[in-house]
Amino acid sequence: MEEKEAMIQLRGVCKRFPQKKDTIEVLHNIDLDIYKGEIFGIIGLSGAGKSTLVRCINLLERPTTGQVFLDGVELTSLGEKELRAQRHSMGMIFQQFHLLMQKTALENVMFPMKISGVPKAKAQERAKELLELVGLSERMLSYPAQLSGGQKQRVAIARALATEPKVLLCDEATSALDPNTTAGVLSLLKDINERLGITIIVITHEMSVIQKICSRVAILDGGDIAEIGSVEEIFRSPKTQVGRELVFHDGEKKEAYVGHVPYCYRTVFKGDSANEPILGNMMIEYGAPVNILSGNTRNIKGGVFGQMILQFPEDAEVRGKMIQYLRDRKVEVEEVEYV
Amino acid sequence: MFEQGMLLLVGEAFLETLFMTLVSTFFAYVIGLPLGMLLVVSDKDGIYPIVSLNKIFGVIINFIRSVPFLILLVAIMPITKIVVGTIIGPKAASLALLVAAGPFVARLVESSLKEVDKGVVEAAQSMGASPFQIMTKVLLPEATPSLLLGFAIAVTTILGYSAMAGICGAGGLGAIAINYGYYRGDKEIMYVMVVLLVLIVQVFQELGTRISRHSDKRM
Ligand SMILES: Nc1ncnc2c1ncn2[C@@H]1O[C@H](COP(=O)(O)OP(=O)(O)OP(=O)(O)O)[C@@H](O)[C@H]1O
Ligand SMILES: [Mg+2]
Repeated sequence: MEEKEAMIQLRGVCKRFPQKKDTIEVLHNIDLDIYKGEIFGIIGLSGAGKSTLVRCINLLERPTTGQVFLDGVELTSLGEKELRAQRHSMGMIFQQFHLLMQKTALENVMFPMKISGVPKAKAQERAKELLELVGLSERMLSYPAQLSGGQKQRVAIARALATEPKVLLCDEATSALDPNTTAGVLSLLKDINERLGITIIVITHEMSVIQKICSRVAILDGGDIAEIGSVEEIFRSPKTQVGRELVFHDGEKKEAYVGHVPYCYRTVFKGDSANEPILGNMMIEYGAPVNILSGNTRNIKGGVFGQMILQFPEDAEVRGKMIQYLRDRKVEVEEVEYV
Repeated sequence: MFEQGMLLLVGEAFLETLFMTLVSTFFAYVIGLPLGMLLVVSDKDGIYPIVSLNKIFGVIINFIRSVPFLILLVAIMPITKIVVGTIIGPKAASLALLVAAGPFVARLVESSLKEVDKGVVEAAQSMGASPFQIMTKVLLPEATPSLLLGFAIAVTTILGYSAMAGICGAGGLGAIAINYGYYRGDKEIMYVMVVLLVLIVQVFQELGTRISRHSDKRM
């Protein structure tokens, strides 16, 4: 594979917030490379520091220590004015859209161009094109209050693209949207990434979002990067507790867990093995039943995956053989402590 | 009910009150609008924090606002004498109105601007907007409906002040109410004045509310 060029580099980024008595450190020494043209996911539980991290990328939050580079330019060394100029090449969208409520969709999209000094006629022309790109030409003259959540986010995306940024930062961009609308917005982001080659960073607490559009993902836990890798890798065999929690129980509340159940294993079937009745054959072969506790399939960039939480028989010998049987058939098997 | 002369007197007073109120409101905004903007910008969570400056202005404004208007009116008479040349009449009263209303308007403007969603400001910052651009292109336009409501409150409050200024020879409806109603015990006149003042307040308030609602695109 060719050497990948970094679009964003974080080097030793720490962020501390001074409180009344002491300071809390929200990000500990983060090193991160995000490559040109990829869709990179950052996932973590609430309070992990995701928003803080993404805000450190465009310096809405100045890192306490460490460096941030955008396409080779060290943002952390720039003065306010140069930084503002660099920000024209980074778009950002938010969970709550943050549109100008007193301006039409068209004026909202023109806004960043107005700020960067693009002549009005040109800004208007480009804003119309962008609204077309996000599928909102008809609602050009609507005010945000007249638009649905999904439409508002589309306006926000068009606005973020107005200054032809190299990077698009999305902080929980779909968290306020229903599943259908979410799917629409995500495919729009993917489309933008493919058509315009814009590097996209997606912050979310939902693994499903990552699976739909990201190529790589970092799991953030308590201000540290717990795991980083391709989405497929992380999904197939998450190495950390948080990773497992996010992959197994995406979006579900902890209370819904059954608790500790013995002999539980998580199995991941690759799409092509789904045709063959592996589980059925295995049970026939060893004459013992396994208990299916949960199961689902996911579409990930690399293909279709099915995951199941299985409870194996108590008999250690049979259990061992069954696991080996599955592993021989390229099924990932991993013990889990809780369900 | 009234003779011709009285009617003329009331008409004149009515215009005087209107003049005092509008002129004072205008100048109160000339001072209060930038001051309110400054308070918002320099706030510790503002777009260009200068905490010490913010504190100083905050204290001055609070100080002036805590002095009851009538006392302020009398207290600044020496200054009025120097600036206006006299301490009676609508012009003299306008200065006191201005001193009292400027800080009041500043606070109104401040609270309107602070109503603007922080997230929108942040979005503008993420696009590389300067503090000046954020003020002129985000905060002021987004706060316009609220600023208009504040304007109605300012006008009606200043109208109330102007009536009080009537005591000190400022003329206007307040003066008539005091001179005829209070000193001469002519209750009828006083009630007419009250009704007139109430009407003016209603008109301004209603107008302000309507224009504000009409300008607001949030529905
Ligand atoms: N300005 C601030 N001052 C003090 N503490 C802060 C500040 N901003 C964030 N924090 C703290 O930093 C931690 C991480 O916050 P952050 O918003 O980055 O989390 P998150 O991963 O985005 O969470 P969520 O999924 O809930 O949005 C939290 O504990 C939060 O309280
Ligand atoms: Mg967050």
